[in-house]
Amino acid sequence: MGAITLEKVTKSFGDVDVIHPLDLRIEDGEFVVFVGPSGCGKSTLLRLIAGLEDTSSGRIVIDGADATDVPPAKRGLAMVFQSYALYPHMTVRKNIAFPMRMAGLDKAEQNRRIEAAAAALNLTDYLDRRPGQLSGGQRQRVAIGRAIVREPAAFLFDEPLSNLDAALRVGMRLEISELHTRLKTTMVYVTHDQVEAMTMADKIVVLSAGRIEQVGSPLDLYREPRNLFVAGFIGSPKMNLLTGAAAAERGATTIGIRPEHIAASPDTGPWRGIVGVSEHLGSDTFFHVRIEGRDEPITVRADGEVSLHHGDTIYLTPDENRIHRFGPDGLRLA
Amino acid sequence: MARAISTHRKALNTAIAWLIAAMIFFPILWTVLTSFKTEAQAIADPPLFFGFDWTLENYTTVQDRSNYFRHFWNSVVISVGSTLLGLALAVPAAWSMAFVPSKHTKNILMWMLSTKMLPPVGVLVPIYLIFRDWGLLDTQIGLVIVLTLINLPIIVWMLYTYFKEIPGEILEAARMDGASLKSEVLYVLLPMAVPGIASTMLLNIILAWNEAFWTLNLTAAKAAPLTAFIASYSSPEGLFYAKLSAASTMAIAPILIMGWFSQKQLVRGLTFGAVK
Amino acid sequence: MATKASRTAARAMMSPSVILLLGWMLIPLALTLYFSFLRYNLLMPGGNPFVGLENYEYFFTDPAFQTAVVNTLLLVGGVLVVTVVGGILLALLLDQAMWGQGIVRILVIAPFFVMPTVSALVWKNMFMNPVNGLFAYLAQSVGLEPFDFLAHAPLASIIGIVSWQWLPFATLILLTALQSLDSEQLEAAEMDGAGPFARFRFMVLPHMARAITVVILIETIFLLSIFAEILVTTNGGPGNASTNLTYLIYAQSLLQFDVGLGSAGGVFAIILANIVAIFLMRMIGRNLDA
Repeated sequence: MGAITLEKVTKSFGDVDVIHPLDLRIEDGEFVVFVGPSGCGKSTLLRLIAGLEDTSSGRIVIDGADATDVPPAKRGLAMVFQSYALYPHMTVRKNIAFPMRMAGLDKAEQNRRIEAAAAALNLTDYLDRRPGQLSGGQRQRVAIGRAIVREPAAFLFDEPLSNLDAALRVGMRLEISELHTRLKTTMVYVTHDQVEAMTMADKIVVLSAGRIEQVGSPLDLYREPRNLFVAGFIGSPKMNLLTGAAAAERGATTIGIRPEHIAASPDTGPWRGIVGVSEHLGSDTFFHVRIEGRDEPITVRADGEVSLHHGDTIYLTPDENRIHRFGPDGLRLA
Repeated sequence: MARAISTHRKALNTAIAWLIAAMIFFPILWTVLTSFKTEAQAIADPPLFFGFDWTLENYTTVQDRSNYFRHFWNSVVISVGSTLLGLALAVPAAWSMAFVPSKHTKNILMWMLSTKMLPPVGVLVPIYLIFRDWGLLDTQIGLVIVLTLINLPIIVWMLYTYFKEIPGEILEAARMDGASLKSEVLYVLLPMAVPGIASTMLLNIILAWNEAFWTLNLTAAKAAPLTAFIASYSSPEGLFYAKLSAASTMAIAPILIMGWFSQKQLVRGLTFGAVK
Repeated sequence: MATKASRTAARAMMSPSVILLLGWMLIPLALTLYFSFLRYNLLMPGGNPFVGLENYEYFFTDPAFQTAVVNTLLLVGGVLVVTVVGGILLALLLDQAMWGQGIVRILVIAPFFVMPTVSALVWKNMFMNPVNGLFAYLAQSVGLEPFDFLAHAPLASIIGIVSWQWLPFATLILLTALQSLDSEQLEAAEMDGAGPFARFRFMVLPHMARAITVVILIETIFLLSIFAEILVTTNGGPGNASTNLTYLIYAQSLLQFDVGLGSAGGVFAIILANIVAIFLMRMIGRNLDA
């Protein structure tokens, strides 16, 4: 069981408010991702839940019990750190056993769980090695193994994939998602990478400057970003944001249109521009189009086979149903 | 990239360096050699280098006449005792400073260091009187206390610099894994810091073993460690070079060996991390 | 970055060391200061009346005081010159390519580990003794009169002995600093046309400046308190010829049992050491990123 509730939680270091009063409910079994640019307070928020930092005010409730003043060791949560934080002087087996040793589990049970975790994580052959002899991906698995065996109320992940290379990252992303499907335990995951957030989360919490910008499922955030910040942060490549005449004629201060919601054509369309850089990914092509009278280029996704080159004239047609409209305060207009 | 150096040049470097090293080391070598001579051979004219009758007689004589091993044992108890006591005090302190730093940490470290700069002679009189009144003069425990206190700043400092190199996340991981503070220090921090703790121990045993102000002023016959015992040879009777050499050789040999092992860490310890 | 609980634990775990050191510093300091204003001699029982600055007056007007100050400065200065200059040269030598570098290093470092009473006695008897010492033998073998070092040049002899003990310290630290110099920098300088002396003057020496300062300051702290070497070689003599401040205060306190006078001297020694300590602490503090 692992429902976590934050009630009016704040955190300040000296005069600096890192977390502004914040309410959040994490349901049991949910995969929640905290995402935001660096310095937005997402890691601090995770450490508050872990108990590695004190809240300045507010309450943290875990499974219905007030855990605000409970030390980290007693919260029943497991954490996977960015640096993995394996114990370098212990073998993989001892690393995984450590939380159970601290809990005073009997040896037979410890071994049973270690074997099970090792089998699930492909670590069986490495149990007697030290962390220093493992690759990055294997270390990551050991860290996860150490978290699993505790059978915690919830897992906390602090940017666990940021030290892995791109190929491994995709693989581990899948493994963690699978793990969640299998264990059905609450997971709270911090990342600055919106792709990780979109692919893994049941619920995304977008943070900026210590405040929650929006909470919702990945598709909610994609379809209906609540404000300009979320609009610009979720989605890759980023949403095009336009002001001026284009916005005004649609009754907004700013309008946003995603690159994938613009049709490109060599001869017809309401917006005429010149192709700047074009990125050919094979399946897709991204054109950075310069439109007369606008400083910012517009990014457009087109089919991989579209053949337009630097300096060619291009016509763009936005999908009117998928234009996001924002008011002067940056909030979404209904 | 090391560059190629002519063999000729290297040979010259080697010759000069070995000559100078031999000169610097010679007094120690000479002491060791003399310890195996008879008293007459020790002052022979011309001096004897290797062509003498090697004897262990001096070593047994020194022990028989002056109960050498009692002083040796005093040195062991005092240096090891003060180091262990110092570590017991310093490990928690260094943990606090390295992993829970506050805005006062730097000031406390600097202040601890400043106590090390207090000239011993400045506090000789009160310490002597306190020791006299409390019956601590010429006792092992008295010296253990004093040497613990004078070396505590160095131990805290060295441990602090070693602990700082351990990532705090690992200790946090232990906390998340359910470890109490005691388990965190005992099972995670200390095993990881073993090399640092070992060099701290070595350096402090060396410093305590060779300390020659308090050991000379606060002991008489009973608790005198080797520094004080050797000093008693300053007004000897009769021929004594070979015996002095034997006593000296035994006094410096263990420390010389430990010192050679810890020479790298020595720099960090003796300069309080100012040179690494 | 921590919790209230861990900050509380930290304070508790730090307090034994802090309290003990605080006691070790404040109690004797306060007593020394207090005694320095009393007429207090262990051989003369009775009250210890408050006499104001009388002890300081005696201490500063004692002819031995001036000699001791001069001797202290000569001792510190002499050893510093020998060990720093010698240490730089030795460090440069040991940094060169050679065979058996490890062994050479070990031999050079060895004297630092010899306890002060041993090195003083070995030098006094087996080398400097005018009858049986090796120096006397060497002098005679080239037809010179043996020289009684400790009788005729006591301070210089002690400077020699102490320098032998501290040369390894300076060498070791300067060598460590030297080895941290990026060899690419030197190669770049060479490409820029700098000869060996220019490279030493403009690259190596500035790089070592910090280490040299540290050596000077740390040695000064220890050298101000030289005691055992004097005690076992000359007992401060002949006359006061090799008495430094530390030895003078020791003699007044524990040989003449004049607690008041010794304490006044102690206060002076503390002030002197603090002047050096302030500079050293600044250097170390700058390097501390706590």
